[in-house]
Amino acid sequence: MSSGLLLQSIVLGVLLGGLYALLAAGLTLYFGIMRVVMIAHSAFLILAAYLAWYLHVQAGIDPMLSLVLTVPLFFIAGVAMQRLLLARLRPETRTMMSVLVTFAIALLIEGLLSYLFTGTQRRINLAYGAASLELFGARIAVVKLIAFGLAAAALGALYLLLAKTRFGWALRATMQHAEAARLVGIETDKVAAYGFGIGLATAAVGGTALALDSTIYPSLHWHWIGPLMAIIVVGGLGSIPGAAVAAMLLGLAESMLQIPFGTTWAQTVFYIVLFATLAFRPQGFFGGRLAQRF
Amino acid sequence: MGRTRRLRWAGTALALSVALVVGGCGPDGDGGDGSSGSADDPIVIGISLPLTGDFAEPGKGVERGYRAWAKIVNEKGGLLGRKVELKILDDQSSADRVVSDYEQLIGRDGVDLVFGPFSSRLVIPAARVAEEYGMLFVEPAGAAPEVFEQGFKNLFYAAPAVADDHYNHLADYILSLPEDERPKTAAYAAMDDPFAQGTAYGLKEKLEQGGIKTVVDEVYPPNTTNFSSIAAKIAASKADIVVGGTQYQDGVNLIVALQQLDYQPKLAAFSTAPTNPEFAKALGGKTEGIVAPTGYTQTAPYPSNKEFVEKYREQYGTEPEEDEANAYTTGQVVAAAVEAVGCAEQGECQQKLVDWLREHEVETVVGPLSWDEAGRPQGAHMIQQWVDGKIQIVLPDEAAETEFTYPKPAW
Amino acid sequence: MGRTTTRRLLVARVARAVGLLALAFVILWFPAAAPNPYILSAAVMVLNYAVLATSWNFVGGFTGYISLGHGALAGLGGYATGLLITKAGFSSFVALATAALVVAALAVPLGFAALRARGASFVIVSIALVLILLLVFQGWASLTGGSRGLVVPRPFPDLLRPEHHEVFYFLFAALLGLVLLSWWLVDRSRFGLGLKAIREDEDKAESLGIPTFAYKLVVFVVSALFTALAGGLYALWFGDLDPVFQFSILSGSYVVLMSLLGGVRHLFGPLLGAVVVGVALEYFKVAYGDTPLHLVASGLLLGVVVMFMPDGVIPTVAGLARRFLHPPEASIREVSAAELEEARR
Repeated sequence: MSSGLLLQSIVLGVLLGGLYALLAAGLTLYFGIMRVVMIAHSAFLILAAYLAWYLHVQAGIDPMLSLVLTVPLFFIAGVAMQRLLLARLRPETRTMMSVLVTFAIALLIEGLLSYLFTGTQRRINLAYGAASLELFGARIAVVKLIAFGLAAAALGALYLLLAKTRFGWALRATMQHAEAARLVGIETDKVAAYGFGIGLATAAVGGTALALDSTIYPSLHWHWIGPLMAIIVVGGLGSIPGAAVAAMLLGLAESMLQIPFGTTWAQTVFYIVLFATLAFRPQGFFGGRLAQRF
Repeated sequence: MGRTRRLRWAGTALALSVALVVGGCGPDGDGGDGSSGSADDPIVIGISLPLTGDFAEPGKGVERGYRAWAKIVNEKGGLLGRKVELKILDDQSSADRVVSDYEQLIGRDGVDLVFGPFSSRLVIPAARVAEEYGMLFVEPAGAAPEVFEQGFKNLFYAAPAVADDHYNHLADYILSLPEDERPKTAAYAAMDDPFAQGTAYGLKEKLEQGGIKTVVDEVYPPNTTNFSSIAAKIAASKADIVVGGTQYQDGVNLIVALQQLDYQPKLAAFSTAPTNPEFAKALGGKTEGIVAPTGYTQTAPYPSNKEFVEKYREQYGTEPEEDEANAYTTGQVVAAAVEAVGCAEQGECQQKLVDWLREHEVETVVGPLSWDEAGRPQGAHMIQQWVDGKIQIVLPDEAAETEFTYPKPAW
Repeated sequence: MGRTTTRRLLVARVARAVGLLALAFVILWFPAAAPNPYILSAAVMVLNYAVLATSWNFVGGFTGYISLGHGALAGLGGYATGLLITKAGFSSFVALATAALVVAALAVPLGFAALRARGASFVIVSIALVLILLLVFQGWASLTGGSRGLVVPRPFPDLLRPEHHEVFYFLFAALLGLVLLSWWLVDRSRFGLGLKAIREDEDKAESLGIPTFAYKLVVFVVSALFTALAGGLYALWFGDLDPVFQFSILSGSYVVLMSLLGGVRHLFGPLLGAVVVGVALEYFKVAYGDTPLHLVASGLLLGVVVMFMPDGVIPTVAGLARRFLHPPEASIREVSAAELEEARR
């Protein structure tokens, strides 16, 4: 492998890892809040990408401006989903049943997208789509850099929100011990619903980033949910820093393995690491007490 | 315990009643008894096409070709004095659906004839359904070698050449270049699809024999969307030429990814995608010098072609491309057999049509066609290149519309 | 046991026998009554679903572990059958039996890894299994044919298509009978009792001395065996295997939907669900062929079932019927820990 190619794949891996990190953060957030596995997370990702594409094609709006619409919309959808569906499941079987409910939502989204836009692959045609610049000796497409920037900014905002605000403190308390949080006067129901909305808002940002540089089609979400689920288990269910680190490492690994093994085999790294994690360290690498129980 | 028993009984009863409902009222239709063949009935032709999904762009091209054929035939009074009617279903580019579609068309709707779908991957399962119902199966797009290795007895490919031979003229050209101009290295990327890979590997084999080194050889699954690592490998190899065994969207994505890396090969050849009407728009016009094989040209001198191009332009306002032409050819081939044998219905008639095609040559818009035992056509493809913003024939010399540009200008 | 109870048992037994006979009759009579070969091919598909759903129900119904990965086991069965025929030269039905045994053997380590995890991790593992097998079968093109797919030779090459469908209709019906019988036997056994204890409360079952892990593993392997048989038979019937369809989470989820819809605690629940969903899927293909509305419908149905009748149609309908027929019945009910918990709130 030439050093140029190595460098190129490292940079591509970091850029890809950034997007994985943002999306996995949302997915692991849901789990932390309610112990649910949200299969529809990546379907919302594709939905956001389609919205960005549609606004671009119909109204010529730059995909990044679509965030103004999709982020609040997805936040509301997340709150509604938590209040109307997931909070109503029996607590004893909630984890299993949440998989099926969110699976049903994923099917709905996929079905409606294919109904409205057909299964044909779509791609946003940007004036700067093929532009690139030289960075540390690697050639990087401008759209990929923008996508990474979006993901990094959103992840940073999420971190600040959780670490520095009163709401973040309440959310973390709810994740760690809902009962105790309720006792100290936190309205856990409300906090959980907002937390869910924030999780879904990450999918809105991720979808826009995805639409910038990738072809999209309605069933694409199946290709995202697998790696994302692997990431959150490896990082430790419910741990956002764990998810971010695992996302970066696995994104990098995927990108570098693509060079010798090709795209198909490189993707298996997610599942191999997932199986290995469950066999040797079922609580994941950053999961605390929380993950051990699941 | 009493409850479980009764529940089981209820279950049985429910299952039973549902089964009864299903048995009693299947979807209606004129049933499998098929056509009576009377002169007033139209000849119904069943077709399944990928109008959505991976192969949607070429699939729609084939649909236009079929519709153009039906219109032209009906304007002339139809076949055997009967109007033709197309019944087109969408298989969503899925092998699963294409089988179910032909099953419905032949088994339930009792169509009189069938035409083939698009893409080798869908042709094989579809051809098996037709074969097992004893139907003649002429198809516009199953060029891959595998199609002809399944032992199908009713299959005919309505185009000049099979996939492996598509680049023959290009290979001859490259290998005839003087030593110092001839490319030394080549990179190949092909979809794991019998047709797309067949075209790229056909060229690869000939160039390797001629001493041109393969430096990258990548195969990717049909639903791949991320081409950055494949492009990175090709760019890093600095191969003199790049060959893509592509369908449509993957070709566009691969070219964009290569352009993002500012990779400038001396020759870039991609199957199918560059001949698509949407291609230039999808690349933002950066198409200069891209090469593609084609089995069809609008300026071909065959008599039926003039009529086709003229009528097609009237109907759609654009020029017909290869997919449209191959579909039209399919119609011509079946029509020739039907007119000669004098029947068009399910049953014994189909075997007569098959037997007739085995023995005869058919005049089409891509020239006279004849087939070997397995249904392979006997011919080669022309090579087109994007020159001055439009795609033009450059090889072989006798058909060329303009000079072949090699090395190609930057894209 | 009082006299009335005995009489009611007798009536129930007779009713059940009549019901079973009627069901068998309908299944056997159907091919003769099918108006065209297409309907017959759809019926083969429905029977295939019924076998898959009933096989799934060995794990889902007895232990309560919801596996979304059974599509992978069926796909493995199909590919193993196809590869044994094309690469190893086995005859069709020997290949089918061998393939099922191979998959059952593979299910031992798979189950060993997956069943250690509970709850969320189990579901994630089952999905991951489908996805990794998809990648392996797409990537290992020299063996599996990759995305070009694998063509499985016909077991009866001389049959025309309508006859081919009819033969496979009866083969699938026979397999369905076998799977139903096995489920019924397990349901009545001590083994089945232990499994149900796991479903209600795994920790308690363990403390009662039930070897929970071994029980789960055995029933998983049995389930895998039947699932692989169904997958292999499908391969012989359909003839073309494509990794995208063989290893699809969607087909695995249809099976879960069918079982839940019919009711996982009942012998005929998955069969009922398979008939309803299978017929609906075929109907959507015919009526709305050009649109993917079947996905929307499946999604809605799955959501409704999970939210409003997680125990399935049979218990819900029977519950309504009972309330209507015998208002105050104070009998000992089968109640799950979850339901008790719910009732206590």
